[in-house]
Amino acid sequence: MKKLISIFVLLVSFAFTSNSYSKTEIHWWYGNSGFLGDVIIEIANRFNDSQDEYMVIPTGKGSYEDNMAATIAAFRAGDQPHYSQVYDAGAAIMVAQVKNGVVIGFEEMAEKYGISVDADNYIPGIKNFYADGDGKMIGVPFNSSTCLMYANMDILNEVGIEEVPKTYEEFEGMAQKILDAGYIPLLQSHSPWIWTENFFSRHNLLMTDGNNGYDDVPTTTLFADTEAFVYHWTKVKEWYEKGYYGYKGRAWGDNQAPFTNGEAAFWFGSAASFGGMKGVLPNFTTNPIPYWDSVTGGKEYPTFIGGAANWILNGHTEEEYKGLAKFIEFMGSPEMDLYYHNMTGYAAVTKGGIELAETINFYRASPYHKAVGDQLGLEGSTIPGGYRAGNWPQIREVIYENVEPMLNGDISVEKALGNMDKGAAKLLKQFAKTL
Amino acid sequence: MKKVQFKSYYSQYFFLAPQLLILLIFLYWPIIQTFKDAFTMQDAFGFGSQFAGFDNFLFVFSDPSYFTAFKFTIIYSFVITLITGSIGLLLAVQANKVLHGKNVYKTLLIWPYAIAPAVVGVMANYFFSERYGLLHHLFNNMWGFNWYEDVFDAYIYVIIAGSWKQISANFIFFLAGLQAIQKTVIEASIIDCKSNIRRFWTITFPLLMPTTFFLIIINITYAFFDTFGIIDTTTIGAPGSETKTLVYKAYIDGFKGLDLGSAGAQSIMMMIIVLFITIFQFRYIEGKIHYN
Repeated sequence: MKKLISIFVLLVSFAFTSNSYSKTEIHWWYGNSGFLGDVIIEIANRFNDSQDEYMVIPTGKGSYEDNMAATIAAFRAGDQPHYSQVYDAGAAIMVAQVKNGVVIGFEEMAEKYGISVDADNYIPGIKNFYADGDGKMIGVPFNSSTCLMYANMDILNEVGIEEVPKTYEEFEGMAQKILDAGYIPLLQSHSPWIWTENFFSRHNLLMTDGNNGYDDVPTTTLFADTEAFVYHWTKVKEWYEKGYYGYKGRAWGDNQAPFTNGEAAFWFGSAASFGGMKGVLPNFTTNPIPYWDSVTGGKEYPTFIGGAANWILNGHTEEEYKGLAKFIEFMGSPEMDLYYHNMTGYAAVTKGGIELAETINFYRASPYHKAVGDQLGLEGSTIPGGYRAGNWPQIREVIYENVEPMLNGDISVEKALGNMDKGAAKLLKQFAKTL
Repeated sequence: MKKVQFKSYYSQYFFLAPQLLILLIFLYWPIIQTFKDAFTMQDAFGFGSQFAGFDNFLFVFSDPSYFTAFKFTIIYSFVITLITGSIGLLLAVQANKVLHGKNVYKTLLIWPYAIAPAVVGVMANYFFSERYGLLHHLFNNMWGFNWYEDVFDAYIYVIIAGSWKQISANFIFFLAGLQAIQKTVIEASIIDCKSNIRRFWTITFPLLMPTTFFLIIINITYAFFDTFGIIDTTTIGAPGSETKTLVYKAYIDGFKGLDLGSAGAQSIMMMIIVLFITIFQFRYIEGKIHYN
């Protein structure tokens, strides 16, 4: 009995202690892991240390896809977090959910709870990517990357190449030299993202009808109908056969590994990949992704924003949203923006962050960080800064499914791109039915 | 001794209730939900839900990669059943003969059964890694192995990954089956026939038929459903969609693609397929087997 009483006393005292420290909890779910996940936890810790009313609890759910599926499942079960990180391919789905009361748009939130960070404080390209048809920013820009070209300068020096290629024509001209020296000239980690979506943006071409889905709900992709795109993949296939381009399956890391190990001259990856390479590969640079000179006539266009945004989910108390507003303000401050930019290689997303970087001469100390802003900041594009196409995660799958038989020669380039269009059109139609 | 009997008629329901409740919650409720999903069109968050008739099924049938997955699943379950069954039987027969250190063999052969499919997949990943994989190098020296783009090579990869662990399951059951055969029958057959091999095929193997039949069902079910973790940690369905099983495709469409309607329709198709396979087996194969 004595034991029971003492346990009871202990439990009660625990209950009171936790009570006296109780803060309003804000749940933030994310889809990054490894180093990037650690940085997210660090951000939450910094916020929690900066004040004592609210507590942000970050929870990693695995990959982007995993987190999105988990968030949706949680919402359907009425147990959703306050804030969730959803990636570029899911943006159309999330923006469409404002009308159903699943997502609270950033601007609505800012108005209601007085967030001092204004939507216009985010750089336009990034702001527009996560905005609805009227230009109202819905998702809160967070980890914004784009695809970049990494170059192993030791290999280039060894074979006597002085400048990294700006165009695919230049790359083609030097590939044989690299191959002869025993290296893989080129690898890339994401065929749908780098060589499909961003092929179109880099060359100022529309990827779907309905003005990339910004004007009308898209019904088809324009893969096979875009001459430049057919040309590009015809070339890629040729390179693959000659050994200029090495395909190592769908896994991001398998394509990156040979480059990180110094076996490949160029690798296309994300701006955020540099963290894992720094200190491993001695002499590398980050550069804008090449373009076909013959397609753009020498002009360069910006690529789409990749990565993810954070989305505010409905169904919580006023007090919790006040805390979330504070957290959004905290993350939107120039210091935090630059901290995140510096740690991860993701782009600085606020004007304040970019100004701060310039003031402290950040890019002179860390030139790796410069390419992402340069490429995203290019002007002159006539296409929208993104695409609003539903079922995009599955369309990416369709792209992968056709790239492989194309590379191994089972189907022709025209046939593969035609299959992609057919598969995508079906998925777009399916999505349109749920709107 | 006095027989214990419950007076109330209803008490049986009381004792059955926990089991029934578990079945209801974890089996019947999801099945009902699956039917609901399969016949409705809805967005990822469950809004805009409307009755869709057979639209989801038509959508699935108009997808060429569904038939690729169907084809692969059939080939995969057939090959896995054959490989795991025959190797399991061979090992069981050999282990049954061993006199010294019998238990060591047995234990070592049973161990892999305890490993989760996803872990097996990760291990296979090492063996087939282009960078440091032993099997990758072996096969590459033999014929230029490249599972990233070659369908046949990818088949080899997932078949080896999928079979390894299941051989243990087959081993256990065959060994138990062998030990259940009466010594007298074996001894009588030794007097009648000198050939080991003939004795095995005419006496031992027919007596193992019930076990074999059971294992065929188990192996097919395994290849259909449990290899999910293996596919997800090895080829993720590549190249193209050539190594996607039906379950894996339903998962990709439902959880990664967030299309519950299509995933629901695929699940129902899978239910029908399994139903047919099972009926076929019980009707046409079991009739030929003699249980003692």
